[in-house]
Amino acid sequence: MYLDICDLLSIQYPIIQGAMAWISDAGLVSAVSEAGGLGVLATGHIDAEGCIKAIKEIRERTNKPFAVNIMLLSQQADSIVKAVCEQKVPVVTTGAGSPGKYIKMFKESNIKVLPVAPSVAIAKRMEKDGADAVIAEGCESGGHIGKITTMALVPQVVDAVNLPVIAAGGIADGRGMAAARMLGASGFQIGTRFIVAKECSVHQNYKNRIIKAKDIDTTTTGASTGHPVRVIKNKLTRKFDELEKNNASAEELDALGRGALRKAVTDGDIENGSVMSGQIAGLVNKEQTAEEIIKELFEQYKNIICNIKI
Amino acid sequence: MFDRIREIIADQTGKNADDITMETNVKTELEADSLDIFQIINDIEDEFDVKIENLEAIQTVGDVVKIVEENKN
Repeated sequence: MYLDICDLLSIQYPIIQGAMAWISDAGLVSAVSEAGGLGVLATGHIDAEGCIKAIKEIRERTNKPFAVNIMLLSQQADSIVKAVCEQKVPVVTTGAGSPGKYIKMFKESNIKVLPVAPSVAIAKRMEKDGADAVIAEGCESGGHIGKITTMALVPQVVDAVNLPVIAAGGIADGRGMAAARMLGASGFQIGTRFIVAKECSVHQNYKNRIIKAKDIDTTTTGASTGHPVRVIKNKLTRKFDELEKNNASAEELDALGRGALRKAVTDGDIENGSVMSGQIAGLVNKEQTAEEIIKELFEQYKNIICNIKI
Repeated sequence: MFDRIREIIADQTGKNADDITMETNVKTELEADSLDIFQIINDIEDEFDVKIENLEAIQTVGDVVKIVEENKN
């Protein structure tokens, strides 16, 4: 079902910034929202108090809509949900499970719910649970991923649910947005390109590594645990490979991954930290403001869509 | 009903249906990831026209059968 996602979310451009733990903080979120997209606050690394503080900071910087992402597997999920309902944030996106048990609370607080769905069955489940739209996220994405590519997943989800579908994974320019639109997507979630936004507070080493990345530079770790994560290859991923080849336990792999994202994001240790990134990093080649990124994305998208020939 | 649920699970996981019992643990014994689990639940919901709530509480195949039976009534 095609429905203008801008109408649903009261935003100017159909561009949603992907939630990235430790990375999408109040500064990036407010910049994306102020530029007419939907900024999404990541909460996987903060508690409810930190979440409320960030929400207040976003509201001081913009009066436009924004979203909060909730990692449903997190032990903090209950308290974060309570906080976003009390704060009446306009939109939530959810990952790692079904938001079913929270839907009533969200609806009572007039919050739009956009769960991430990495398969058709999960998208259908989210529709039954009362989602307002689903984010069909292909495995080209950075961070925690599913198994299906965006190209294969999006049209199948579009056919399976009677909801607007937001495409995610492998989109970093107007061509990717146009391609996803052709697959039936109503909106586009973009993560990696916003890492290099000038307003993004991630360590400069992380930004430089994204800008330098080539098409073949990402890999996945943790597949043996059932929770694969897409990252840029470095010393850390080689250690993961070695452990996984030697059939290491989930505990050993967890221990290696603990604190690794923060190491890369805040300390700038891009060799021993987890440099989460999508496969499309090879296309990201310069720092720009969030506004410049969004305007460039949309202009390119509009030109392609308006000039399609067969 | 158990036989049909067992077939759905076997179909998705590649396991032999005869090896699946009411006591089989869905999460640890079937080598099913979260995508498989959601697919199985979706197929069972479609087959029996029920909605299975509280997925976190499901441990065994018997739990699934019980939920479907309760929802059917």
